[in-house]
Amino acid sequence: MYVGVDVGGTYTDAVLLKNNRVRAMAKIPTRENLLSSLLESIDTILKDADKKEIKRIVFSTTIITNMIAGHKYDQVELLLIPGPGLTHDYYKIKPYVHIISGAVDYRGRVTARLDKQEIDAALSKIAAGGCNKVGVIGKFSPRNTSQEKRVEAIIKEKYPDWQVELGSRVGGKLNFPRRAETTYLTCATRQPYRAFLDSVQQALAEREINADVFILKADGGTLPLKGSEELPVETIFSGPAASTLGVQALTPPGETSVVVDIGGTTTDLALILSGKPLLSAKGARVRDQLTLVRALAVKSVPVGGDSVLELDGNKIIIRSERQGQAYCLGGPVPTPTDALRVLGLTSLGDQDRAAEAMGILGKALGREIKDIAARVIDQVVENISAEIEKMFWEWEQEPAYRVWEVLHKHKEKPRLVVGVGGGAAGFVNKVADRLGCSPYIPQYAAVANAIGAAVARPTMQVSLRADTEQGYYIIQEEGQQEKIKDRNFNERMALDLAKESLIKRAAKYGLEVDPDEIEVASQEVFNMIRDWHTSGRLFDVTVQTPRGITGRVGDGGDIDV
Amino acid sequence: MSKLLPKKTGLIFFPAFDWAISPTHPEREERLLYTRDQIFEEGIMDLPQIEEYSPSLALIHDLARTHFCVPRVEDQITEAHLIAAGAAILLADKIVQGEIKNGFALVRPPGHHAMRVVHGNRGFCNINNEAIMVEYLRARHKIKRIAIIDTDVHHGDGTQDIFWHDPDVLFISFHQDGRTLYPGTGFTYELGGPRAYARTINIPLPPGTTDDSLLYVVDNLILPVLADFKPDFIVNSAGQDNHYTDPLGSMRITAQGYAKLTEKLRPDLAVLEGGYAIETALPYVNMSIILALAGLDYSGVKEPDYSPGRFKETPEHKDQVRRIVQELRQRWETRDNAPIEKRDVNGNYYQRKKHIFYDTDYIEENQLEKLRLCDCCPGYLIIDTKANLGFNRPATALCISVPAAACPKCRAEAGDVFQQSKKTSQYRNVYLQDKHSDTFYGYDCEKSREWLTEGR
Repeated sequence: MYVGVDVGGTYTDAVLLKNNRVRAMAKIPTRENLLSSLLESIDTILKDADKKEIKRIVFSTTIITNMIAGHKYDQVELLLIPGPGLTHDYYKIKPYVHIISGAVDYRGRVTARLDKQEIDAALSKIAAGGCNKVGVIGKFSPRNTSQEKRVEAIIKEKYPDWQVELGSRVGGKLNFPRRAETTYLTCATRQPYRAFLDSVQQALAEREINADVFILKADGGTLPLKGSEELPVETIFSGPAASTLGVQALTPPGETSVVVDIGGTTTDLALILSGKPLLSAKGARVRDQLTLVRALAVKSVPVGGDSVLELDGNKIIIRSERQGQAYCLGGPVPTPTDALRVLGLTSLGDQDRAAEAMGILGKALGREIKDIAARVIDQVVENISAEIEKMFWEWEQEPAYRVWEVLHKHKEKPRLVVGVGGGAAGFVNKVADRLGCSPYIPQYAAVANAIGAAVARPTMQVSLRADTEQGYYIIQEEGQQEKIKDRNFNERMALDLAKESLIKRAAKYGLEVDPDEIEVASQEVFNMIRDWHTSGRLFDVTVQTPRGITGRVGDGGDIDV
Repeated sequence: MSKLLPKKTGLIFFPAFDWAISPTHPEREERLLYTRDQIFEEGIMDLPQIEEYSPSLALIHDLARTHFCVPRVEDQITEAHLIAAGAAILLADKIVQGEIKNGFALVRPPGHHAMRVVHGNRGFCNINNEAIMVEYLRARHKIKRIAIIDTDVHHGDGTQDIFWHDPDVLFISFHQDGRTLYPGTGFTYELGGPRAYARTINIPLPPGTTDDSLLYVVDNLILPVLADFKPDFIVNSAGQDNHYTDPLGSMRITAQGYAKLTEKLRPDLAVLEGGYAIETALPYVNMSIILALAGLDYSGVKEPDYSPGRFKETPEHKDQVRRIVQELRQRWETRDNAPIEKRDVNGNYYQRKKHIFYDTDYIEENQLEKLRLCDCCPGYLIIDTKANLGFNRPATALCISVPAAACPKCRAEAGDVFQQSKKTSQYRNVYLQDKHSDTFYGYDCEKSREWLTEGR
């Protein structure tokens, strides 16, 4: 049996799956104390179940989102080694940034030295401010970790108790500002996150639940609870990932669908293209800054069932805020839900009050109540549909750096518009209509997110970079540089090395990886020509455990739409 | 006060990581690899001042508007060429539509050595990305006056050839003196055709020229000429081989020098040309150009081995540059009263002979170019070409180009020349490029087959 739990901002949802069938489900309001909400939902679904039969529990929580939004973490300072390039003023805008000398270039060659005195001075300043959490991030550090490591050693020697995070361990992708931001967030959240995980484990032990426990990440993969401590930020925004995986489990394989989750004041959109959830090309955006966190491409549209409707001259404006429930449910102002009610597209609330709400808008415009309701619905549907079209357009516009990629540009049309989350289902049909798709509301739409968590699989990536001219390779995630011993080092060997490292790394997290299942996420080879001769080769290989879900749930797989 | 957001700088980065002239050629897959690493690691694409676009393909029609590709356009290009030219066109569209303030097509393969007639690859170029984009702008957006500033170390002889007779396109190229570098042209006396005199300006700089002299040329020649010409659109053919580490050139320009140059020229659109110091120059020079275009502080961009004051010029060197500037300023001042040399005129035509060598493909071409001297319009152009391909028979063609502003009489006359030439057995192919109707014809005289491409 599998358990999936999604602790969302408003509701905590849980399901118990047995043989890909939903055996129990729970939906409870999320309280301030996330842990107690989480436990209550688990207790509810396990009331009649044999706890020994539970093989796996997967959580998706907003814990990291809440910590960051509420600024519930200790002070963090960053030591940056930006070297030449973009002006340093650009980084100094942030008060917690200290710039130090040193530089590494794109090939990982050291082009400027560290300055010990300068580092000591910066550390004294940090210590004087009472901070004991430091991130060290060098430009091009994934290509050569030595300067970051040297700074770490200096810190550890002087301040052995400090928490130090290195940029090269946080992410191997080339993007210094995103790496700095991700390192900051890792540094900030690791301790409180660990405390949360400990209490989860303790609570499960008290209930004599011995299942494997995983946590859902923004990319729709999972990590074992213990392993997620290293990179807590990867668990941010796992809620939309949970819903998307849920839809994947509740629709036929290979389907191209739009996931529409209409809530009170926002509508979350995600895409499943030929059966695979679309990843964001740029990584998750946190505190208005891009990070290295791999995330699904999710868009939040500021419109929902409870959005406030107002008049601006002859125009109806949909405000992104909420002033309580819909008018037909006793709320203070007209909302899109009232419009749905007037047109009979929902059975929520009171018909007369809904008509009254539309009347408030209609009087000023001198129009019939049904006209007004239709206009409101059209406007909501247009807002959502336009955003969906924009998402497809943006995906088609993703930059291509090879002739082959330009000639084989993405192009796909959605077939299904899948409504989840239970809010304002009446809109889904209209959106599907507008986009020329079929609408679909799965049987378990209200807990699709929890189902998504339950069926999520562990994911892990390893990137190898080898530079045969300089004679070394580096496994980005481990930050360890190794000599290349074989003079005939080739692509095959680079790939084998990467796979081997993935298997080893996975084992460290208690995961078993079938070598035959490993996917090659990207692979590049460049011949380096100097004076008309090949002086070496550059290999960049990224391998990963397969993305996907453990199985389809309920009637997912043969719907007829 | 306007609350409009400041416009961004548009960027198309197309390194063509799967395209090379040959595996060890300077124009190979690896060329923009370290540039990619640098701009990605700096997070350039994430900056609020930058908008990255995905390239699209130029149409065969867009190429036929500029070039006479022999025998047909498809025979002279690969998809990579369509993408590079398409990138320049896409950014130009966005600029003219007001979506972005300026742009940089950081693309390969390059194009500035490609001339009007194309028999093969010369100077790593098959088709001229900037010229194709300029002709597109004129045909689609009715933009009249355009300036092209070529800042590659090699003379932009292809672009010069294409706009030689065009009074509405100002072409300025500075480069290392042709006596010391490919293609061996670009001297001060090359000033354009009789109807476009001094609308071609060549500034041959002695080897070893540094940032100081280069910026002197910009301030004292290029900017004043631009101010007089008042272009509606400025293009920069942004070669990066003036850099002090370039393996082909011998100049001493730094990344900072390129940034200042870009800041002063304020081009609407920069298009990458050459530059083959792929590790020591390109990552830094490209950063410089992007930051300068976006109006960002570029003072932190520095090559690892550079220190201020590293390069100095002799007083003689400086004087030489000043004399060139002075000479060209005079030419520019007298641009509108240049006499036509009688010996170059034959009946109604002004004519010149050209010998063209395609270094990459080893092709020898001889051209007789005739401009119809008309009192009412710029006149049409006839190019009689014969290329020795080194195998088979030579490729022969007659190419007729009618400008958009041609008068009805010239258009009719050019049409007659086309029809008559089809009947002679003198040429293998005959072409008519009618820019007035944006329709381009080709004719295979042996197979008696005609084809055409039309505007969208």
